[in-house]
Amino acid sequence: MSWKISAKFARRELRGGITGFRILLACLTLGVAAITAVSTIKIAIETGLTEQGATLLGGQAEAEFTYRFATAEERDWLVGNALAISEVTDFRSMAHVQGPDGPEQALTQVKSVDDAYPLTGSVTLSNDVALKVALGDQDGTPGAVMQRVLAERLGLDVGDRFRLGQQDFVLSALLKAEPDRASDGYGMGPRTLVHTNALKAAGLLSPGTVFSTKYRLLLAPDKDLEQLKTAAEDRFSNSGMRWRDARNGAPGIARFIDRLGVFLVLVGLAGLAVGGVGVSAAVKTYLDSKISVIATLRTLGATRAIIFQTYFLQIGALSGVGIALGLLLGSAIPLALAPWINAQLPIPASFTIYAKPLFEAAVYGFLTALIFTLWPLARVEDIRAATLFRDQICRHKTLPALRYLMAIGGLLTALLASAVWFNDTIKLTLWMAAGIIGALFALAVAAFVMQRTARLASRAVRQPVWRWALAALSNPSNGSASVVMSLGLGLSVLAAVGQIDGNLRGAIARDLPKVAPSYFFVDIQKDQISDFVARVSINPQVTRMDTAPMLRGIITQINGVDANEVAGDHWVIRGDRGLTFAATLPERTTLTAGTWWEADYSGPPLLSFAAEEAAEIGLELGDKVTLNILGRNITAEIKNFREVDFSNAGIGFVMTLNPAAISGAPHSFISTLYAAETAEAGILRDLASRFPNITAIRVRDAIAEVSKLLGAIASATSYGAATTILTGFLVLIGAAAAGERARSYEAAVLKTIGATRRQILLSFALRSALLGAAAGIVALAVGILGGWAVNHFVMEAKFAVVWPSALAIIFGGLLANLLAGLGFALKSLASRPAQTLRSRD
Amino acid sequence: MTVPVVSAELLSLSLTGNAGKIDILHDITLDVLPGETLALVGPSGSGKSSLLMLMGGLERASSGRINALGHDLSAMSEDQLARFRRQHMGVVFQSFHLIPNMTALENVATPLELAGDKQAFQRARHELEVVGLSHRMGHYPSELSGGEQQRVALARALVTRPDILLADEPTGNLDGATGAAIVDLLFNLSAKHGATLILVTHATELAERCDRTIHLRDGRLETQPSETAA
Repeated sequence: MSWKISAKFARRELRGGITGFRILLACLTLGVAAITAVSTIKIAIETGLTEQGATLLGGQAEAEFTYRFATAEERDWLVGNALAISEVTDFRSMAHVQGPDGPEQALTQVKSVDDAYPLTGSVTLSNDVALKVALGDQDGTPGAVMQRVLAERLGLDVGDRFRLGQQDFVLSALLKAEPDRASDGYGMGPRTLVHTNALKAAGLLSPGTVFSTKYRLLLAPDKDLEQLKTAAEDRFSNSGMRWRDARNGAPGIARFIDRLGVFLVLVGLAGLAVGGVGVSAAVKTYLDSKISVIATLRTLGATRAIIFQTYFLQIGALSGVGIALGLLLGSAIPLALAPWINAQLPIPASFTIYAKPLFEAAVYGFLTALIFTLWPLARVEDIRAATLFRDQICRHKTLPALRYLMAIGGLLTALLASAVWFNDTIKLTLWMAAGIIGALFALAVAAFVMQRTARLASRAVRQPVWRWALAALSNPSNGSASVVMSLGLGLSVLAAVGQIDGNLRGAIARDLPKVAPSYFFVDIQKDQISDFVARVSINPQVTRMDTAPMLRGIITQINGVDANEVAGDHWVIRGDRGLTFAATLPERTTLTAGTWWEADYSGPPLLSFAAEEAAEIGLELGDKVTLNILGRNITAEIKNFREVDFSNAGIGFVMTLNPAAISGAPHSFISTLYAAETAEAGILRDLASRFPNITAIRVRDAIAEVSKLLGAIASATSYGAATTILTGFLVLIGAAAAGERARSYEAAVLKTIGATRRQILLSFALRSALLGAAAGIVALAVGILGGWAVNHFVMEAKFAVVWPSALAIIFGGLLANLLAGLGFALKSLASRPAQTLRSRD
Repeated sequence: MTVPVVSAELLSLSLTGNAGKIDILHDITLDVLPGETLALVGPSGSGKSSLLMLMGGLERASSGRINALGHDLSAMSEDQLARFRRQHMGVVFQSFHLIPNMTALENVATPLELAGDKQAFQRARHELEVVGLSHRMGHYPSELSGGEQQRVALARALVTRPDILLADEPTGNLDGATGAAIVDLLFNLSAKHGATLILVTHATELAERCDRTIHLRDGRLETQPSETAA
């Protein structure tokens, strides 16, 4: 019965229009739209990856081997389970040309294929030539295709010749698209595609060189992917084979999109919290304007329940509208941007309206709206009929009734549980929630301190303009606390994102170049290493050279247990790792535990492990680690832990074995050279012409590539934070608009008693600036703390405060608050005192 | 012996604001008899409106007791008081306090709706006809003159046929002629329905129309409750 009456009253009240609710609607719409859009884009990409899994993978299933081709037994098993099979090898190399000014070379990621390639999808070439023709014989020389960027770097046109290792090729076409590009992971250079048969004379796939072979399978339609995977892993568990299938064609990208998407949704949630503060302020302002109506209803006999329900239904209905608009907008934006987004992505995304993002964003929206409206709504219970004949001189209760506090606590828990459930990440969600709650608490304390300080200062200050400003700030009923909280939270999120962004963009560029080598040389063969060292040694421009033998291997077991069970998803376990051997403790190496082996030790294999990674995995001295190297399992005991600094881009192996354990296995050498930037080109020309099979990786180029990738992540984060900026500004405008009536009255009274417009404007500007500064100082601390936490715990990167970003955001916030405040203050100043005072009577 | 409809005993009211404690009423004792018309007069800040609100259960006394129609208002919860007002009291304010987003008809029907009366709109329509506003039923408060708004407020106060009608300076915001018309309506209708009328006023001529006048100064009674002015 009471709900029916409440609904009737709510409907009547809503006839008055939604003027007081514009900010509420805008905040909810924007927050929900941001989350819907991010979540929709994430699902669109994931769906694209699933739908196109076979095309991206190059077949319905793939078996990958490191350093070697499949054995006859392995190949027979693969052929026996497939309708068709294609063999692909992948490795880095240098493409050499004879340019007008002498020899030129560039790093390339080479893929050699057989006649069956590609099993799924198609390769697109510049001149519409079939791939088989393009890679076939071109007047006695094998053909090859490469990406335009590489051809341009080498100054090659179609028809020109270039060399890989010892083999000449003719560039028969430019490579525009390859269907399995996304599944190949991160490449060190642009792609060159050749036929495997043509590589036989190149000397690039000799034992010990770094390459991987992939066997793509086309399967019968009724083949069960899970069963096949289990059968393959059971049969070849110790061979170092890695199995993938079309269910997850590009796992690297899928994982990256998942993590980035989750992070952006959480940034969106922070934005929704900023909007929530605005929603709360809007509801409070609206309910303040309804005090006389509520008191009248109380006089006429309305119970507290009827009053609460009346306004709960009104605000609930409007929140519903805001959320619905947000869902609509959030679904429409990805659809509208689909062509542009697809053009930016290396994989196809499948854009449509998905139910999950709508549901997820709606849940967040409703819970946030409830949490932030319940607090001010609970206050309507305290409005008494006596308010009608007396201004409320009684102090407001600080907190709502216990039942409302409990309900808010329950809703907050539900919001956190939803975020954990939707994003499947407890730690990150809880950290984010703790950050937001901590920031709100710090801001509430800052607002309280600011009011108290302003009260004391206003008594001490004699200058009237300052005194008016300080007195206004010290008045608890003028809403300065909610401005500090909303502005401060918005600025905190922005400052944190700014710190993350700046650290991502700056980390490598800032930290590496001082200590990084100029070049990495890989694939130096055993019979070349002494020549190579001698050649480099006589070059006066080389300031330092390090060399080490290198093999690649996969950790398959730890203490006899499957490595994944022990170490989970740790990066050391994921895929194959470079490893080396050494008789004595290498130069500049520090042991953290254990001892090095005797130089002539020849007993059971011993292993030296990187200390930090060992601690993360939980390894201890004496543990047994089984490595699969070239299909052979070696179990080594951990003899010691040592410090390895990967951040200086020098040679750093997670694992070093005693020489007797693996020195007999085919291996090559790796070398780093340190030289001035101006000498780099000359050194490369000299070494590349003398050792054409050796691959040189210029560290500056690699850093630029990684910086580009990190820059893209940082940009995505910035886009996510853009909605927070907009929401924060809306909240500011809402707060400024809410105070307009009070400011007009104050301006009218001040004018009446002789204050000039300039004095009044200055006083209004001062209070806006002081509010902005209070919010900014807290936001600075919270933002830096948040940025550090994300860098340290999520990105696992070093952190440095990015002062320009921090200060720009704080001053930007201060300026925004000043502008919003002054915009409305000018309006207040424009009205005549008599007009304002009469309307107030 | 006649049982009073409102009975106050050693009633005091203090409020605490940011500036500290403010004493508003001190040890007020009085009875109001059924059907009586009583004027509360006194200078601004003397506590007359506060006393009226205490009698209507709109304010809570700091000490003392107040009974209305045999119910101890000081012992009732906020919601019990709301239900009590709904059934037994009508209130008219100087500033009318109509609900801006409701039409005149809806404003008058509201207390009946709250009481669950299925004939709420029919009765509200009749009440508006009685106060001469049959042509203004669909109008919002902002579309009505001050006198019309006060007539709507009067209709709203009387539509539930209250036992007690409280009026806080009902003509304070109206010009002389309009105020006089409202006063006539107020007295006539309360008499017609047998309601006890308690009003706060500054106007001597209005107080003189009442059976009894009580003077307040600084929160204390100046005139003994048994004295009759008229």
